[in-house]
Amino acid sequence: MSASTLELDELERDALTELVNIGVSRAAASLRKMVNRQVILSVPSVEVVTRRSAASLIGQRESEALIAVQQQFEGPFSGRALLMFPESNGLSLIRAIVGDEMDEADLIEMEEEALAETGNVILNGCLGSMANMLQHTLKMSLPNVRRGDSALLFETLVNGGEESFVLFLYINFSVRERDIRGYIAMIMDLPSLTNLKQIISAFIERVMMENE
Amino acid sequence: MSRDIDDQARLEAELEQARRRLHLTLDAAGASCGWEWDIPGRRLVADARFAEITLQDPVDLAQGVTPDRFFRSIHPEDLKRVKLAVAGMLAGSEVFSKEYRLLRNDGGYRWVHASGRTILDADDEPVKFTGILVDITEQKRITEQLRIAQSAGGIGTFEHIVGYGTITVSEQFCRLFGLHPTRILPIRTLNDLIHPDDERVIDLTDPDGLQNDRNIEFRVKRADDGIERWLARRGEYVDDIESSGRRFVGVVFDVTDTKRAQENLSIANKALAELARESMRERNRVWNNSRDLLAVLGTDGVFRDVSPAWAEILGHDPDQVIGRSLLDFAWPEDIDLVRTEMRKAVENVHNDLEIRLSHREGAPRTISWRTTREEDRVFAYGRDVTVAREQKAILEHTESQLRQAQKMEAVGQLTGGIAHDFNNMLTGVIGALALIKRRIAANRLDELDKFIDAATTSAERAAALTHRLLAFSRRQPLDRQAVDVNSLVGSMEDLFRRTLGEQIELFTHLSANTWSAVTDPNQLENAILNLVINARDAMPEGGKLTIETDNAVFTEADLARGETLKPGSYVVLAVSDTGIGMSEATIEKAFDPFFTTKPIGQGTGLGLSMIYGFAQQSGGHVTIYSRVGLGTTIKLYLPRSMESTASSDEDADANGPTPRGEGETVLVVEDDASVRMLVVDLLKELGYRVIEAVDGVEALPVIEGKARIDLLVSDVGLPGLNGRQLAEMALASRPSLKILFITGYAATAASRTDFLAPGMEMITKPFAIDALAQKVREILNTRRD
Repeated sequence: MSASTLELDELERDALTELVNIGVSRAAASLRKMVNRQVILSVPSVEVVTRRSAASLIGQRESEALIAVQQQFEGPFSGRALLMFPESNGLSLIRAIVGDEMDEADLIEMEEEALAETGNVILNGCLGSMANMLQHTLKMSLPNVRRGDSALLFETLVNGGEESFVLFLYINFSVRERDIRGYIAMIMDLPSLTNLKQIISAFIERVMMENE
Repeated sequence: MSRDIDDQARLEAELEQARRRLHLTLDAAGASCGWEWDIPGRRLVADARFAEITLQDPVDLAQGVTPDRFFRSIHPEDLKRVKLAVAGMLAGSEVFSKEYRLLRNDGGYRWVHASGRTILDADDEPVKFTGILVDITEQKRITEQLRIAQSAGGIGTFEHIVGYGTITVSEQFCRLFGLHPTRILPIRTLNDLIHPDDERVIDLTDPDGLQNDRNIEFRVKRADDGIERWLARRGEYVDDIESSGRRFVGVVFDVTDTKRAQENLSIANKALAELARESMRERNRVWNNSRDLLAVLGTDGVFRDVSPAWAEILGHDPDQVIGRSLLDFAWPEDIDLVRTEMRKAVENVHNDLEIRLSHREGAPRTISWRTTREEDRVFAYGRDVTVAREQKAILEHTESQLRQAQKMEAVGQLTGGIAHDFNNMLTGVIGALALIKRRIAANRLDELDKFIDAATTSAERAAALTHRLLAFSRRQPLDRQAVDVNSLVGSMEDLFRRTLGEQIELFTHLSANTWSAVTDPNQLENAILNLVINARDAMPEGGKLTIETDNAVFTEADLARGETLKPGSYVVLAVSDTGIGMSEATIEKAFDPFFTTKPIGQGTGLGLSMIYGFAQQSGGHVTIYSRVGLGTTIKLYLPRSMESTASSDEDADANGPTPRGEGETVLVVEDDASVRMLVVDLLKELGYRVIEAVDGVEALPVIEGKARIDLLVSDVGLPGLNGRQLAEMALASRPSLKILFITGYAATAASRTDFLAPGMEMITKPFAIDALAQKVREILNTRRD
């Protein structure tokens, strides 16, 4: 199957962007509750790219190693979701969430745990909301934390990554006036992505009907 | 009814008025196209501006309508997009920010930007969706223009809010960094692409501080192709309305080409500068180390710079030379030459000259210069050739000495032959004298004359030989007088015929009115005889020999071509043969002493050179006209005599009886005893009274004494006082004293008339006794006149 048939049209991309926005808004709401502070998440753009492109996209932008929270999801579309930060930003996010009371040593000690928990909130909120909007359900695995460069995280070296695709989101976090950037990637195989495209089309149709 | 109608009309008018008032009020209040969407209540309320911009009834919207009215007037192409976004908001999205087109009442469309938020309840469920519309048609147009401008001009824009880690950029901005087009980029991403040595696009070392807003340039390694490019950043701070902070707004554009051009230019400049420095160093090395004199002069002849070699060669420190004129250093005798040459050096691009400059210690140094003029500067390169010139002079002197030595060597070689001849002649004399002595002893006096004649002949031949040698060395005194060349040739004809033999015919063409020539008759005879003998020898197989005489007058114009003759009248004597002739090469050397084409022993090679010397001493010339195989003509030019020819009577006298003395007193001064004895005896025998002296010291008391002296006969080459000095002293005491010099060889007497004062005469050794008697008689007779 060629990439062109997979290409989302403008409306589909808009729809996907809205779905993601709904998802990250939910996640932000969850984070707000966790930290009891204003948390704003925004998603400027959504792209569907190959794994290799996704890896280079991040590789281009980030010079330092990445830290990622990873969860498998299963449903009408299945795959692997990654919430990624440059390593230093990951720590900043934890610091922002747990507050300044905790000392540095403790913070580093609990970094992965805290990050896994935060990642779980964001990814669950995001993917859950999307599925919900699409009137489907997704089963999410437990989160785990990985470190490495973008090629490693996207496993481009393992199987070339040409047969699977990445729904790639660039997100801005604004927590406690800290500016934290991160990425959400949903790695799916071709059938999953084709399913997603169909589900989105159905969603669009529904929306159009609703507001007639 | 009509009242109803009136009421209705009045109400409508009031309503219209109220609407207008509302409009005005809304306008005055700056109402902002706001809406409020009650999600659970499914009801939309919007203000009058919203109603107006969406072409809806403001009263309806103010009172509340169904939510689908939100989408009224939206362009069909944008509608789905907007609906999706709204659906997202209703489902929990937090931010609504969309741009879309709204229909205008004129049928066109306007661009609006809708921004909205949802208000959540305690369960995080959205309950209200509120927002405003802003007409962005103009902004959109400008944005579009900006986008086109950016992509056309390759200019990327950015905005950075102080304290943020991200930067808002344009698509073109991303392209300049080789990044995927996006709106927001982490600053670190950009800075990491920038060359470590260059300034950052946004400096984050002080995250909350202001950037310097200078124009900066930096290199980026483009993310997509890894190519390094130079980018320039220009920007300025503006107040950020949203955050009340400061925004740095700027542009970035590619300046690689300019930069490369600059770099290339700078590299080229550096290379050029290095080259210039290097060539300056080289020039300095050459300038400082050159053994030649280097100088830079103005066209005014004033030194602008001179090399250190000036101190070495001329003893002048460069500091003392710079600023002074070339003329100050010229050797005084050369100043005019230097002036002329300096002018040439200024007028010509190149000039070569050799002038002398003064050394500081006063000696001249000869410098050979080459000059080059460039604009108003004359560059001069001078080489000290003083030593070379001195050596050349020495060489020339040495060469002349060598030539003399060679000549002497030749004389030495010749001496053998001459000595042989001379010995033969002496043998003749001595042999004859021995025979005479024996005959006298035996008292056989009958045949004595025969031996005496033989001895005399031999002695005369010897004398002739020494005369020839003297003529060759040009030191034979010439006894110049007017000579009738025709009669001289005529008198020799018999001799010529005997010499020539029967195979050669002799012709004489003697021009009847040939002038007399001023010359020495004996030498002329000798010369003619030599020419005749040469002619004979050139015709071994026989031929014709012609002797001609004629007159010739040369003006200045006739003698233009390097002739040695002076303008004037000449007697020409030509001797021609029909013999073997001479080649050019032979002619060239014909006058050289000892040059001969004859076999060794047959000739001395002195003939022509002697004739040449004789002609020169006579003030005339010799020329040779010859062709190999055709014969030779030799012309002898002798100056014309303005006097009448000496009468032939004298010759008769010379051949007459030996004149005798009449008791006159003669003082004889001669250091050679035998010569003195001979002279004294002869004079006594002739009837003179004789006083003798060995030298000037012995002679002076006699001269200063009272004794009668009629004639002083003195050798020229005396020890101590020479003959001439003695004569002058004698004349001082006795002004009327007559003097006769005897000389064998007298360097100062080369020309008799120059050496002899009036009343003085000269006779050359060896001389015939009769000649001496004749000469003495002549002098004493003159005294009587």
